[in-house]
Amino acid sequence: MWDQARQALTASMNKLLSEAAGLLPGVVALIVALLISALIAWILAAALRRSLAGIRFDERVNRWGFPSVAEWSPGNRPTLLVARFVFWLIIFFGFLVGVASFDATLTSQLVHSMLAYVPNVLGALVVLLAGNVIARFLARSVLIGGVNMNLQYARLLAMGVKWLVIVLAVTMALEHLKIGGGIVNLAFGILFGGIVLALALAVGLGSKELVSRSLEREVKKTSGNGLEEPFRHL
Amino acid sequence: MDLETIPQPARERIDKISKADLLVGVLADHGGDAPAIVRQAVEGFTETLRTVVIQGDNVPAASNGADSGVVDSGTAQDERVFVVPWTLLGPDASVSPVQSMASAYQSILAAGDKLGVQACCVVASDLQTVTSQWISRLVEPILQGGFDLVTPCYAHGKFEGLLNDSCISPLNRALYGTRLQNPLGPDLSMSRKVFQRMLGPEQERIKPAASQTHTLASLAATAICSGFKICEAYLGPRTYPATDWTNLSTLIVQVLGPVFLDIERKAACWQRVRPSVSPPAFGERVALAEDKGAVEVRRILELFQLGARDLLEVWSLILPPTSLLELRKLSRLPQEQFRMPDDLWVHIVYNFALGHRLRTISRDHLLRSMTPLYLGWVASHALEMENAPARVVEERLERLCHAFEANKSYLVSRWRWPDRFNP
Repeated sequence: MWDQARQALTASMNKLLSEAAGLLPGVVALIVALLISALIAWILAAALRRSLAGIRFDERVNRWGFPSVAEWSPGNRPTLLVARFVFWLIIFFGFLVGVASFDATLTSQLVHSMLAYVPNVLGALVVLLAGNVIARFLARSVLIGGVNMNLQYARLLAMGVKWLVIVLAVTMALEHLKIGGGIVNLAFGILFGGIVLALALAVGLGSKELVSRSLEREVKKTSGNGLEEPFRHL
Repeated sequence: MDLETIPQPARERIDKISKADLLVGVLADHGGDAPAIVRQAVEGFTETLRTVVIQGDNVPAASNGADSGVVDSGTAQDERVFVVPWTLLGPDASVSPVQSMASAYQSILAAGDKLGVQACCVVASDLQTVTSQWISRLVEPILQGGFDLVTPCYAHGKFEGLLNDSCISPLNRALYGTRLQNPLGPDLSMSRKVFQRMLGPEQERIKPAASQTHTLASLAATAICSGFKICEAYLGPRTYPATDWTNLSTLIVQVLGPVFLDIERKAACWQRVRPSVSPPAFGERVALAEDKGAVEVRRILELFQLGARDLLEVWSLILPPTSLLELRKLSRLPQEQFRMPDDLWVHIVYNFALGHRLRTISRDHLLRSMTPLYLGWVASHALEMENAPARVVEERLERLCHAFEANKSYLVSRWRWPDRFNP
């Protein structure tokens, strides 16, 4: 009885040890893969940081009209953001290589499903980027045009335009990513419809007089430019 | 410029006339009898000139003459004046007045080239104020004095031509070293050398639309940089259509855009030029008209203050921090103390020219965002010169020009090293 129990224990120990020994090369491979990828990631990130600093990437991002990127970046430096993104991307690839040493099928399935999703991510990124650029451009146009028309609420108008375009872009991006599906569309429809309805009600009921006074003032400004009569610009 | 752009009837008449000495293009097609004015002007010349007058289809019948376009009034002199009815300013509402005018200049240059004229004169002002003396003064220095470009000097009111006085003329003077009151004309004349230069292969390489707008802005600068002889002609008062107030920012885009573009193209030339000189001037100098009375600047001041409140983030992409700080302080001043320092205005203009070159933001946005700043200068100038006599106004504008010249090194430095720290 005792012998049988001892044999069973020894067999299970052997089995466990042999399985652990079987996993060991995989673990070592994972650690090595992570170490190598960390080294490569560190070198690449450092090189990227230096070259981006060389071309004054932080200033350029600001000049290209993306000052908010700096706000999201560590240390308010978009260079660091890009470098860290590249660093962690390489680490992630190293991790995938390491995991493949345990079970190649699992990793290939994971990689396959991830690769299939990449076009959606890229599409969503392009939509977001384009939406951001268009939103900023339109907002600036509205702001400058509004100020030049002497509209006191020019900034408010510009902000409204900006956020409408950004919300539209985010909705499109989410649809591209297949996140939320119908709910996002529905929410967007309700939001947009709500805004339009609110504006229509505000103009039609609450602010009727305010709007008419404002329009009258604009008409007076454009038709009767008696105030500026003494000034000729050309 | 392609001759195909000249309408068929006008081209046929030009072909029929074949050769001429002088071409006068009149942009306004109403308000006066241009051929008669030109005829009177050329009568004063000792030599007989074959002269072609291009004017709109509304030319008075007496002047328009027969089918051939030849003025037929019996004297030998008149037989030398030919009229080509051709409306130079197109009725197309989609084209802005400035673009339309620039395109008309191109057409006149092309016609002048085809006719092989010695001098080309463009009259853009309302014909009510245009006299034969105007034409003589514009043309004579070229035909008899050996000059290549004659630009006008007007006797305008103290609050007229403000965009020119505040920006275009001082910029031209500081950069190219020639003190021209109106470098952009619009009434001017040029020699064959100049208009051939303007039509030359260099301009043809530019896109047609850009080239057309570019002609007017680059005329004086091209002549100066090419070493042509330039002079001014005192023409007295002029009348012209009032600026559409609602489109001031569009006007700024259309006028300053080509000027800034030309500055970019001629950087190699103006960076070499040193202090300015006055060109020879012909005719009797007439002082600025004496306008009296208070001016209302409240609304333009409000617009400047609104700009200082809402457009600072746009301006911060173009202007250095010290200028922004000064603008912020300026916007808080009460009307009676509101004065824009010359150095601040000069830095604004120079930095906007640089921003235009660097494309810091969309060029259209950049120029439109300059409108409140320009109106700030207008308000400051109007308040300062409200009760000043014409002489004081002239002196004040001269001081502004000096400020532009004194700060030229700033522009050169910023132009060469735009990324260098600029407080």
